Amino acid sequence: MEYQIDIFNQMLIFAIFALSLNLLIGYGGQVSVAHAALGAAGGYTAAYLSVEYGVPYIPATLFAIGAGTLIGTAVSVPALRLSMDYLILLTLSLSTVLLTLIVSLKYFGGSYGLLGIGGVSVFGKDIVRPSDYLKILLPLLVVLFLACWRLGHSPFGRVLKGIREDEIATRSLGKDVFMYKVGLFAITSAMAGLGGAALVYYSQIASPSQFSFDVATTMIAMIIIGGMGNLWGSLLGVVLVVVSRPVLEKQVNASPEDASLYRLIIYGAALVVVMRLRPEGLIPESASLRAGVAWIRRLAGRLPAPPAPAAGSADATPPHIAAARVARARPGNGLVEDVSQLEAAVQVTGLVKHFGGIRAVDGLDFRLAAGRITGLVGPNGAGKTTVFNLITGAIRPDAGVVTLRGNNITNIPPHRVARRGMVRSFQDVRTLPRLSVLENVALAVPNQPGEHLGNLFFRPGSTARAGREAREKAIEALRFVGMESRLEYPAGALGYGEQKLVALARMLATGADVLLLDEPASGIDQSWLDPILEVILQTRDMGKTICIVEHNLHVVERLADWVYFMEAGIVTAQGTMRDLISQPRLAEVYFGNA
Amino acid sequence: MDFTLFQQLFVNGIITGTRYGALGVGFGLILGVTGRFHFAYSTTYVVTAYAAILAAEQGVPLVLALIIGLAVGAILGMLIEGIIYRPLQTSAPTLALLAIFISSLGIVIAGQNLIRLYAGSRSKILDTGFTVKGLSLGENTFTSLDVVMVISLWAVILGVWALIRFSEPGRMINAVRVNPEMARVVGVDSGRIYLAVFGIGSVVAGSVAILSAMKYAALPDMGQQPTFLAFVVAFLAGIGSGPLRTALTGLAVGMIESLSGLWLSSQWAPLVVFSLLFIYVAVKPFSLGTSFPARARRLLPLGAR
Repeated sequence: MEYQIDIFNQMLIFAIFALSLNLLIGYGGQVSVAHAALGAAGGYTAAYLSVEYGVPYIPATLFAIGAGTLIGTAVSVPALRLSMDYLILLTLSLSTVLLTLIVSLKYFGGSYGLLGIGGVSVFGKDIVRPSDYLKILLPLLVVLFLACWRLGHSPFGRVLKGIREDEIATRSLGKDVFMYKVGLFAITSAMAGLGGAALVYYSQIASPSQFSFDVATTMIAMIIIGGMGNLWGSLLGVVLVVVSRPVLEKQVNASPEDASLYRLIIYGAALVVVMRLRPEGLIPESASLRAGVAWIRRLAGRLPAPPAPAAGSADATPPHIAAARVARARPGNGLVEDVSQLEAAVQVTGLVKHFGGIRAVDGLDFRLAAGRITGLVGPNGAGKTTVFNLITGAIRPDAGVVTLRGNNITNIPPHRVARRGMVRSFQDVRTLPRLSVLENVALAVPNQPGEHLGNLFFRPGSTARAGREAREKAIEALRFVGMESRLEYPAGALGYGEQKLVALARMLATGADVLLLDEPASGIDQSWLDPILEVILQTRDMGKTICIVEHNLHVVERLADWVYFMEAGIVTAQGTMRDLISQPRLAEVYFGNA
Repeated sequence: MDFTLFQQLFVNGIITGTRYGALGVGFGLILGVTGRFHFAYSTTYVVTAYAAILAAEQGVPLVLALIIGLAVGAILGMLIEGIIYRPLQTSAPTLALLAIFISSLGIVIAGQNLIRLYAGSRSKILDTGFTVKGLSLGENTFTSLDVVMVISLWAVILGVWALIRFSEPGRMINAVRVNPEMARVVGVDSGRIYLAVFGIGSVVAGSVAILSAMKYAALPDMGQQPTFLAFVVAFLAGIGSGPLRTALTGLAVGMIESLSGLWLSSQWAPLVVFSLLFIYVAVKPFSLGTSFPARARRLLPLGAR
């Protein structure tokens, strides 16, 4: 019996690593290979304190958690500012260097490791047998699983998944992507440190082979085989990987040495095969306990399968937008309004951006009249999208001032611009493909208490209430754009026109009152044009300030109350669309000399 | 400062730096042209050394054994690209960075342990074919093998440089590296170029592996440290840099690591390299992936569309 419990205990310890690694890679999309090395940092800290100074196991474990957190966070911070290859590079280097140092430094017992680690005792009772350890490890793992579940399936976890799907889109909705990544790395590094200490105390030795590159890859194999983004999958992965050793030793009659080689060969091959044939792993992210039970029931009772949601519904009929179109007149009673008399929601003065020798934006001045739609048109390469990047802070301007409702927002990072009330859309929509439509929009709701860890664990009541409110707001925004029938669909399965509407709902859910729309009508089917334009007009009628960049001049004509004409980085004309088209020079610049 | 020690460390720095430079050139070529995070560089490295050793053990003449080793490594590299990486890129381009990296981890771990299983875990030495003599220049000592190593690795580096600079296939490689879209438009078959690059990169790595198996020994996990160094050098040189710049970066890294011995004991050497990398990454300007050029976009994580 003790033998089986020993194997079960090993599963529990590896589950600590697997759960945290899954949070990091599966939920947050941050690929790290340093998890075993961070375990070594924790394990060796605990072992060293215990062997050299006789520190008892609880403080030693706390130091181990601290060591994991500190090293993990310190090393990852520079890389988290950059694209993912730098994170892989730094974590890979960290693990190579930590493992080399552990072997070469004399304090840590070289390749033999540290022996003589103090015992563990609870309430004066010494913990020696595996069945004693089980009584500590099992409750520990249950608590950790619940905590990880809470993290992963909260507004916090939703932001993490948003970062995984598209960092730039998530940032544009007002989330401080960098701080989330750092927080995630700190939490998972802490768990790795804890796992390292648990492993070292359980095996009563700290040795390099416990945390080697083989082990790091084994941990990754657990979460990849089990299924990324699903914590149950990680547990399944741990069970399969840990059980494979006794199975190989007993059933195949391999020597322990050969069995461990076979195992690693199998894990390696499994990584390649899973990535190729079933990248979502055995238990995909979308699988839930309820769906699993239903599946088993179907298997047993042969119930018919539920209809699968239609993927790629590009030919879906556009939603019917209750049209106020008939009665609508342009603001200002149909007369051409002098928008310069209206209050400016956004004022841009002397904006300059050069890329090398190219003057993308070269002293640009314009204003967005509050509650109106302003168009930004011009030939290809006039620098229109760059303007959006500059005024939302995605790119730093070389010179110039941007004010939002009179406040200077020049050089403020994008997520803070969004929170101050100006959000943008993207030419290539950038919905978060594997999140549901509802999640896509709920993510955008600002100031959610559930995005902060303290609230998640210490104020569950008000967090849950706020979560329901955010959901309501999201549904309201989706109803406004006519997409409320698609709540549970993965956004990536929708047609392009539908995705554009979801992206619009997402901007509305942020509560921002200045919306910058980059090519809202490009790439969509003709039948989708009217609903989308209608939604934009209705958004204006709600009092929002809108700026559109658009190639289709008919769209600009129908939407824009005022239009700026941009050429080579400066505004060369302004007026209503009709005015501008009637100027032969502009028509020639725009359409070329046809 | 001890001047004799400095001189000796300087000589050592040239020897290790040349090795680092060559490692970086092979990996940097693959990363720069294909954008693949080819961690299984480690596998082609080990396999080249073992193939040469096994051939030599069978009584094959040394030169032929070396050629066999390099060829096996090159073919393995091309197979990995053609059979494993490319299908992943085609089936899920947005997930390719993650999928390719994870697959290459799998290849490394499976490869390493297959070698342990068939060739044993004990170290094997590749015969040099000549008597290694101790040489000295002033008070500095090194071996004739070191001289052979430095000369042949620089020959390989310059060979890669000349190939890219002057040959027709090389110009096509360069075209794909600089502007993959344009290269496709003018009719360069990027699939074949990728295969060629994996072949060349594996040969460069294999040359280092063979010389290391002669100087030290071959072990199933001998590829891990060199792969780490190759990554560091390629990134420090800048992704997409040419062979000469990468080789000189490697030389500088080796030199700094070696000269750090003036103040630090040698066991801290890996930390010196890591610190260089850490500082380099830390001073890079913040960019979450805004305004990436087309080539870098392929390296982007999940969801970049």
